[in-house]
Amino acid sequence: MQSRAHLWFIGPALFLMAVILLIPILIAGTLSFTDYSLGNSGAEFVGFENYERIFTRTTYEKMFGATFRYVFVVVPLTVGLGLGAALLIHSLGRIGDLYKTIYFLPVMAALIAMAIVWEFAFHPTIGVINATLERGCGTFLESWAWYAKGCERTFPLWLTDRDYAIWTVSFIGVWQGFGFNMVLYLAGLTSIPRQLYDAAEMDGATSGWDRFRLVTWPLLGPTTVFVVTISFIRSFQVFDMVEAFYPQGGGPSKSVYVMMFAIYEKGIQQNLMGIGAAITVVFLGFVMVLTLIQRRLVERRTHYV
Amino acid sequence: MAEVTYAGAPEGAKAQGFRFNTRAAVVHAVLIVGALIVLLPFYTMLSLSLKSPSEIMQQTGGFMGAQEPFRDDFCVKLGGTEEECMVNPIVYNYTTAFEKAPLVRYLLNGLIVTISIFVIQVIVALPCAYALAKLRFWGREAVFSLVLFCLLIPVHAIALPLYIMLAQVGLTNTYAALIIPWTISVFGIFLMRQFFMTVPDDLIDAARMDGMSEYGIIWRVMLPTAIPALMAFGIFSIVAHWNDYFWPRIVITGNRDLFTPPLGLREFKGDADGDNFGPMMATACIIVTPLIVAFLLAQRRFIEGITLSGMK
Amino acid sequence: MQRTLTAMALALASAAATTASAEDKIVVEFAYPYSHLFDVTYEAILPKFYAAHPNIEIRMRATYESYEDGTNTILREAVAGTLPDVTMQGLNRQAILVEKGIAKSLEPFIAAEADFAKDGYHKAMLDLGTFDSEVHGLPFSISLPVGYYNMEVMAKAGYDATNLPTTWAEVIEACGKLREAGVDNPMFWGWNITGNWFLQALMWSQDKPTVMGTDFTLDEPEGLTALNTMKDIFTGCEMQNLEWKAALASFSAGDLGMMYWSTSAVGAVERAMGDFTLVTSEYPGLTADGPMGLPAGGNSAMLVSTSEDPEELAAAWAWLKFITSGEGAADVARTTGYMPPNQAANEIILADFYDANPAKATAVRQLPLLREWQAYPGDNGLAATQVIYDGIEGIVTGEFEDMTELQEELTEEVQELLE
Repeated sequence: MQSRAHLWFIGPALFLMAVILLIPILIAGTLSFTDYSLGNSGAEFVGFENYERIFTRTTYEKMFGATFRYVFVVVPLTVGLGLGAALLIHSLGRIGDLYKTIYFLPVMAALIAMAIVWEFAFHPTIGVINATLERGCGTFLESWAWYAKGCERTFPLWLTDRDYAIWTVSFIGVWQGFGFNMVLYLAGLTSIPRQLYDAAEMDGATSGWDRFRLVTWPLLGPTTVFVVTISFIRSFQVFDMVEAFYPQGGGPSKSVYVMMFAIYEKGIQQNLMGIGAAITVVFLGFVMVLTLIQRRLVERRTHYV
Repeated sequence: MAEVTYAGAPEGAKAQGFRFNTRAAVVHAVLIVGALIVLLPFYTMLSLSLKSPSEIMQQTGGFMGAQEPFRDDFCVKLGGTEEECMVNPIVYNYTTAFEKAPLVRYLLNGLIVTISIFVIQVIVALPCAYALAKLRFWGREAVFSLVLFCLLIPVHAIALPLYIMLAQVGLTNTYAALIIPWTISVFGIFLMRQFFMTVPDDLIDAARMDGMSEYGIIWRVMLPTAIPALMAFGIFSIVAHWNDYFWPRIVITGNRDLFTPPLGLREFKGDADGDNFGPMMATACIIVTPLIVAFLLAQRRFIEGITLSGMK
Repeated sequence: MQRTLTAMALALASAAATTASAEDKIVVEFAYPYSHLFDVTYEAILPKFYAAHPNIEIRMRATYESYEDGTNTILREAVAGTLPDVTMQGLNRQAILVEKGIAKSLEPFIAAEADFAKDGYHKAMLDLGTFDSEVHGLPFSISLPVGYYNMEVMAKAGYDATNLPTTWAEVIEACGKLREAGVDNPMFWGWNITGNWFLQALMWSQDKPTVMGTDFTLDEPEGLTALNTMKDIFTGCEMQNLEWKAALASFSAGDLGMMYWSTSAVGAVERAMGDFTLVTSEYPGLTADGPMGLPAGGNSAMLVSTSEDPEELAAAWAWLKFITSGEGAADVARTTGYMPPNQAANEIILADFYDANPAKATAVRQLPLLREWQAYPGDNGLAATQVIYDGIEGIVTGEFEDMTELQEELTEEVQELLE
């Protein structure tokens, strides 16, 4: 079956990819060697100066730190919780739909509005979280040193203390993202033929764990590849929330200064397109390498159907 | 007949494993705790949309607030008398949301934009995904690698070059500016390709034997089997573009009539000089409602799609 | 409900009117920031303007969500060739648009006015929008830093309206007394206001500009005094690192005794605060004489029209002048927490208003101290602002202990950006 049909099939997609994604990336790549600033008539070629800055300034050290912390907290948790929720919900049959809807809510909500709500919830004194914690004061909980310290003055400033901020933001990232993975896993689970479980049972896989290990997990392989890839990319690209919480500067002492925000800050906020473009190129390089490593690791254990 | 091998197991297939009630009870308990954590911000959002400014800022008044009338400053400033300007919090928040920001218009724009984006994405992505999954041709691996590479490209990073390109052709401040950059969804291609990989070749061969064209196969054979995956893609695409705040605010700088729903939120921003949280939260509630309804409807279709193909 | 219907009817009527008369009207495209704050102002001004200039139509563009957004939008629109005619820009963002040649000089229009000074524009105000000795922006709304006090909390430590702190040393002393009286969070100081506003406030307090030409003056003794004062305030008051929303919420809830912030938030605080007495008072100084100067916040009107048509430019100028003088300017004070930067409006039209609104009068008393909210020159100006912001934040979070060291680091990094 050799026809020219495929050209018509991939042609439009390739054309749009080139125009919408690749050309702008090439433009960014070119700009990264200049000092272009929007509104200027021209730009000067500055060689590798922008790149040099990224790898020598402490600000950018913080940028890499924040990005990796976020990614390596959020990816395992969203994948794990997504799979866990999917398995539990799937085991319930129809009633599970209610949970499915609830867990999917955060994916659907506009993050810009939710950020404001979280800010209220995390308010250091009157927010619902610290107000609830405060109720535990005077009870046995105070024997925990951390808790006693909170009771003495105030509980942590979750969003503006540099020791907590990145973890709080990661928590919200998990809150927002795991429902997405759950739906993907649910789709994967529903497509596992029931006969396979019967067959496994006949072969002596009687416990739930055995069935999971022998049937569910291997058959979810392609789903997992997909889910992990997407989760990686999504968490590397985290931006909205950081911008909503910390429009200026990327969090207390830059502790939530993730790469996407850095690109936005330099390229759009501060109008330094050259350096913004350079971070973009570095960003792309990073995610490419990481995706390759991660695909090697995952592909060795699972196989595409 | 080929469908049987990949069709989904009916709901509750594994229920045998959880026959004991205690087990189900534990599962419910875990899921309910999770649900409470997930719902907390939504509870807060709804609650804030019902309260008066002072109750919001001081975080008092429980869920509903006292619903005591308060003075609407803007009404006073525009020359109203004190009595005329006393308003009930719920009424004030929701009418302001619709009145100050022409929210109906924004919702309509959101609908136009998200639906157009999704339809075009499907038209572009489905054939490409089919070709990548089921056709053998020279350069297939290269094209797939390109798709994977494009998946990594963050939109925020290319926003300015894209803006300048759109400006060159005079398209800023139009619906086209809101739609064009999203017509290609590499995520969609990737997702649909993964799904098509699981469709047995027999099905396609049978269709070819029946004399169906490749186009026919895509739209009449692959599309129906792909409904669940397409639903998933649809939900993600629509959610992402309905809620997108970043891109519309870059390209829509002139006419407010082209605003999408999230841009309605900015009408209530005052930053360091005080936001107007009540109407802002009311707007947020209104924006998310259509999505929840759509998801509930789609979910039913989603399950139907699976059960139907399973029963064949 | 009644209002909804009226508004809808008006909208329909005006839509019908525009289609009917779009031909013979001159359209001025106009964009401004913060619709939540200023919509009401323009709603009040527009009918008056239309009565005076029936042949001009003001077409409101999408509002900017912040000053930063406003500047970035204008820069993008300049590239796209879709600039409005008049734009409102943050006072410290004017310089960029002048440097890039986007904002037009207003001198030709001023020269054509018979007696411009009579309209209430005076030098200190015009200076805020003057670049290369040519006026490019007419200030529209002005704010100054002031002190907000919760008198019930202050009373716990024995303070009343007559003995509120007037120097930073007294503020720190008050913090100590309040903490002894059981107040957990006595004070918040608005270091995080955009454009390093509060650093510039401490510099101007010593009558020292933060930048002179391309020279960043933080390396001088005044700079070290400013940094040390901040450190003393933050540590002496054990100030929490609050985000502005959280700070306003804390103050409204009655947690904080003192808050140093922009006068522009008076309206928002009054609307949201609990059952306590709010008093605003002069911004404390480094010495008992009070500050020698304070930076002006707010925004100003700039002409960015690309039109060559003298009639259109005249219409844009008419609008620009109307909102910054006379009744137009007075509406700024009536509808927002800002002051009009116009002597005539403040002294003649608004005298009664300030008597009735004492919380808003504090800033007017401080008007003689008005100084420029400085921008850092060059393409890296905004990046410099961020470097300084990060530095000050480090003092609040406790990242930086040694102010001399911080002074050196900041000066070095900022100076490099400015050259």
